Amino acid sequence: MAKPFSVRRVPGFSTIAMICFIGLYLPIVTLVIYAFNAGTSIAIWEGFSLRWFQSAWNNAQVIDASIRSLQIAVTASVVATVVATMAAIATTRTVQYRGLTFKYAFINLPLLVPEIVTAVALLIFFSRVKVWTGYSGLGYLIAAHAAFCVPFAYLPIRARLESMDLTLERAAADLYATPFQAFRYVTLPLLWPGVLAGFMLGFVISLDDVVITEFVKSGGQDTLPTYMLGQLRRVVTPEMNAISTVFLLLSFAIVTIFFFLSRTEKTS
Amino acid sequence: MTISAAEASEQVRRKDIRDRWLLSAPALILIAVAGVGPLLIVVLYSFLAPGNYGDVKWQFSTDAWFSVLFTRDIFDDTLSIADAHLSIFWRSIKLAIATTGLCVAFGFPTAYFIATRPSHNRQIWLFLITIPFWTNMLIRAFAIQEVIRNEGIVNTLLMKLGLIAAPIPMMFSDFAILLGMTYVFLPLMVLPLYASIEKLDFRLIEAAYDLYASRWNVLFRVIVPLVKPGLIAGAILVFIPALSSYVIPRVLGGGKNLMIGNLIELQFGQGRNWPLGASLSVTLVIIVLVAMLYYVKNASKSGGAHG
Amino acid sequence: MHQQPAGTTRGGDIDMQNVVKDFGHFRAVDNVSLKIASNEFFTLLGPSGCGKTTLLRMLAGFEMPTGGKILLDKADISLLPPNRRPINTVFQNYALFPHMTVAENIGFGLKMLGRPKAEIEKVTQDMLRLVQLEARGKHLVTQLSGGQQQRVALARALAPQPKVLLLDEPLSALDLKLRKSMQIELKRLQMETGITFVFVTHDQEEALTMSDRIAVMSEGKVRQVGAPDAIYDRPADRFVADFIGETNFLAADVVSVNGNVARVRLASGKEIAARFAEGTQPSGKVTVVIRPEHARAAAVSAEADLKGTIQTIVYLGTDTHIHAVLEDGTHFTVRQQNSRSGPCGFSTGEQIGIHMSDDVAQILRD
Repeated sequence: MAKPFSVRRVPGFSTIAMICFIGLYLPIVTLVIYAFNAGTSIAIWEGFSLRWFQSAWNNAQVIDASIRSLQIAVTASVVATVVATMAAIATTRTVQYRGLTFKYAFINLPLLVPEIVTAVALLIFFSRVKVWTGYSGLGYLIAAHAAFCVPFAYLPIRARLESMDLTLERAAADLYATPFQAFRYVTLPLLWPGVLAGFMLGFVISLDDVVITEFVKSGGQDTLPTYMLGQLRRVVTPEMNAISTVFLLLSFAIVTIFFFLSRTEKTS
Repeated sequence: MTISAAEASEQVRRKDIRDRWLLSAPALILIAVAGVGPLLIVVLYSFLAPGNYGDVKWQFSTDAWFSVLFTRDIFDDTLSIADAHLSIFWRSIKLAIATTGLCVAFGFPTAYFIATRPSHNRQIWLFLITIPFWTNMLIRAFAIQEVIRNEGIVNTLLMKLGLIAAPIPMMFSDFAILLGMTYVFLPLMVLPLYASIEKLDFRLIEAAYDLYASRWNVLFRVIVPLVKPGLIAGAILVFIPALSSYVIPRVLGGGKNLMIGNLIELQFGQGRNWPLGASLSVTLVIIVLVAMLYYVKNASKSGGAHG
Repeated sequence: MHQQPAGTTRGGDIDMQNVVKDFGHFRAVDNVSLKIASNEFFTLLGPSGCGKTTLLRMLAGFEMPTGGKILLDKADISLLPPNRRPINTVFQNYALFPHMTVAENIGFGLKMLGRPKAEIEKVTQDMLRLVQLEARGKHLVTQLSGGQQQRVALARALAPQPKVLLLDEPLSALDLKLRKSMQIELKRLQMETGITFVFVTHDQEEALTMSDRIAVMSEGKVRQVGAPDAIYDRPADRFVADFIGETNFLAADVVSVNGNVARVRLASGKEIAARFAEGTQPSGKVTVVIRPEHARAAAVSAEADLKGTIQTIVYLGTDTHIHAVLEDGTHFTVRQQNSRSGPCGFSTGEQIGIHMSDDVAQILRD
C-alpha cells in the first residue's frame, strides 16, 4: 500500500489541504442551499422553494439598499480607477525622483490602517463637514469608498505598466505620434486589461464593505451589507440566505472574469 | 535658439517631474481627505475632553489616554488598572495569535499542496482559495453562524445521529470568533505562502534526502527556513486584520466577547466617550505599526541573507 | 521647422557638432563630431557601452544632448521631440505594437501624420510588397516569426518615407543564416530608397559588409571614421586595430621616413616598410600592426623577416591559424589558406620563418 517515494510529498499535507478546501466551501454551500428552503428555518429543510428570493425581491428595504450599494460601488470604483491609473502612470517607468517613494507608500497606506480606525476617523471628520456644509448625501460614502479602493485599483494597473515595454511608446513617438496620441493608441490599449482588473477589484471591495459604511452613512443610507448587519441581530429567516446567494453570485461572476482576464494576460 | 542643450534637457526633466506630481495629485488628495488624513483628527481628539452627548469639548485633556490603562475610583479617587480594557486588549491579542497559528497549521499544508500540483492545475486550485476571499466577509461570518448555531447543521446532525442529547452551545464564544477569523483570513495566509513555496528549488530537498535527512528534518530544517519570508508575510497579513477585527466578533461573539474594534465602536456609540475611542484607535494603530516594522525588519534580513 | 517626411526622394545629411551626453557623472558620449552624407549607409561600430546607442537615441530624439548640436539638412534638431523629426527607427527588439495587425503597424506613422486613408492603404500595400509580406497584412504581429517581425519593423519605419533611418542592432536577434540574407536585403533597400541609413552594431563583420563608411567608437569617443577597407587595412590606433579583425602587434624602431612610407627595424633586426596615418610624423619606438593573412609561414631561412616556434595550429576549414612565439617572446599569428593537398604541413614545436610582403605593416598613432 505504501506510496512510491517522492521528494515533493509530505505525509498528511494533502489531507489537511482537502479539509481546508471542504471547510472553505461547506458553510457557503450550506448557506446557498437553505436559501431555497420552503420553511422559515435556516436549519431544518422543509422542501424546495423560491419563496425567499421572491420575498427579498418584494422587500423595499432590500431593493433600496441594493440599488444604493451598486450606485456607490460603480461610482467609487470608476473614480478610484481613474485616479489610480493616473497615479500609476506617474509612479512607474521613471528615474528615481524626490517624493516617488512617498507617493508609493501613501497610495498603499489605506491597506495598512485597521478598517475600524479609518471608519472612526471618517466618522469624526465627516460629522464636522456635514455640520459645516449642510450636505449629507451619498458623496461622503462615495469618497470614502473611492479612497480605500485606490490601492486595490492601483496595484494591477501598476503591475501591468511595469511589465509593459517602454520602447513601444518610443516607437510611437518616433512614428510621429504626439504624447497624447501615443497614450491613446499605444499605452491605453495595452494597459486596458490592468485598468479593467483594477476596476473590478475596486468594485468588489466597495460592494463588500461594512465597517466604514456603517460609520460614515447618514440616516436612511443603508447599503446591502449594513442592512444585513442590522438584520443579523434579529431572528434570521432564509430571506437572508437568498440575499446572500445573489450577492455571492455577483462577486463570483466578477472574480471569475477577473481570473480569466489575468490568465489570458499571462499566456499572451 | 537661445537656450543651451543642457538647460533644455534640465527643463524637460523638471517638466516631467511636475507632470508626474500633477497626475498623481488626485489620488493623493483623495486618500488624504477621505482615507488616512482624518487619522490626524483622531490623534487630536484623543487629547480632548468628552462632550456630554458624544463628540468632544475643546479643552486639552490627557484623561482619555489615562483611562486606556487606568480607572479612577469615583469615591476615593484612587487609581487602579483598567481591567476591562486590558482584558479586551489581551483577549484580542490572544485571539489574533491563535488565529495566526491556526492559519499556519491549515494554510501551510494547503499552500504546499497547491504549489506541488502540475503547473496547469495550480491556477485552478489557487482560484478556489481566492473566491471565498473576494466574497463578502459578513456573508462568510453569517455562513459560519449557520453552521455552528444551536439549530445549525453541526448540532442538528450530531443530535440526529444520537451522539448528543442537547445542542452544544458554540455561538457567542471565543471559540466562535476564533473559528470565524480562521475561516475568513485563511486565504491571506495561503497566498503569500504559495508564492514562496512555488519558488522553492526542489533540488535542495533532493539534496537533503541524499544527505540522510528524514521527512521531518526535510520539512523543518529545509522547507520551512526557505519559505520563511512567505510565512512571515502571511502571519502579518492574518495577524493585523485579526487583531483589529470588528465584524466577526460582532456577528459571532455576541455582546460580551468584545475585541478592540468593538470596544472602539462602543465609545462612539453607547459609551459616548469619543476621546477614549480616539486614544484606543491610536493604540491599535501603534500595535499594528510595531507588527509591520517587525515584518519589514525580518523581510529585509531574510532578503539580505539570500542576496 | 517640421518638414513633412513623405515625398522625399533623397536622404537627409546629418551634422553632429561636439555632441556630449552625460548621465549623472557618467559621460556616455564625449564630444563627438560626425558628418553623415545623404544617401549614405553609415555604421556606428563599437563594443557595448561605447556610446553608440546613446548617440543613435539622440539622433532619434529619445535623449537630449547635454552639449553640442545635431543638424539635419543644416537645421538644428537637437531639441525637437522624436515625433517632430523626419527620422524613423528600427528598434533592437522591433517594438512592434502587439495589439495591432501587421498592416496597422506599418500604417501607424502615416496615421499619426494625419494622411488620408487611401494613401495609408496604398503605402502600406507597397511596403508589404517591399518586404515580401503581402499575405500577412491582417495577421497580428505576435503570430509572425522573428525574421518576419524584423521585416515588419523595417517596413513600419520606412512607410512615412523618413529622411534618415536609424537601425539599432536590428539583426542581433536573428540566426546566422537569416542575418546574412537580411544584410544583403538592407543594403538593397538602402540603395533603392536613397534614404540615409545610420546603423548601430557591435558586430564588425556586419559593419564591414554593409557600410559605406564606419565610425569606430569606444568610451564615448569616435576613434576612427572611414570606409570599411580603410578601417581594416589602416587602423588608426591600437583599439581599432584590436577591435576589428585579428591583429599582430610588434614593437619596432623607425629607421627612416620617405614620403608616406617609413622603414622600421623589428626586434629580429630585419627592416620592413610600414605605412603611417597622414599628418603624423613617426619617429623612435613605435608599434606596427600586421594582419595574420598578410604574413606567410615557411621553413626557417635567412630571408625570413621573423623567426618563431609554433605553439598551436588551429584548423578552420578554409584556413589554418598558426600561433607562434617569436624569439623575443611576442605572440604572432599567421593565417594560411588551406590548399587541396591539406593543411599547412607544419607541426607544433617546429621552428618557422615568417615572411611579410611589402607595404602590409601599419604604424599606429600613439
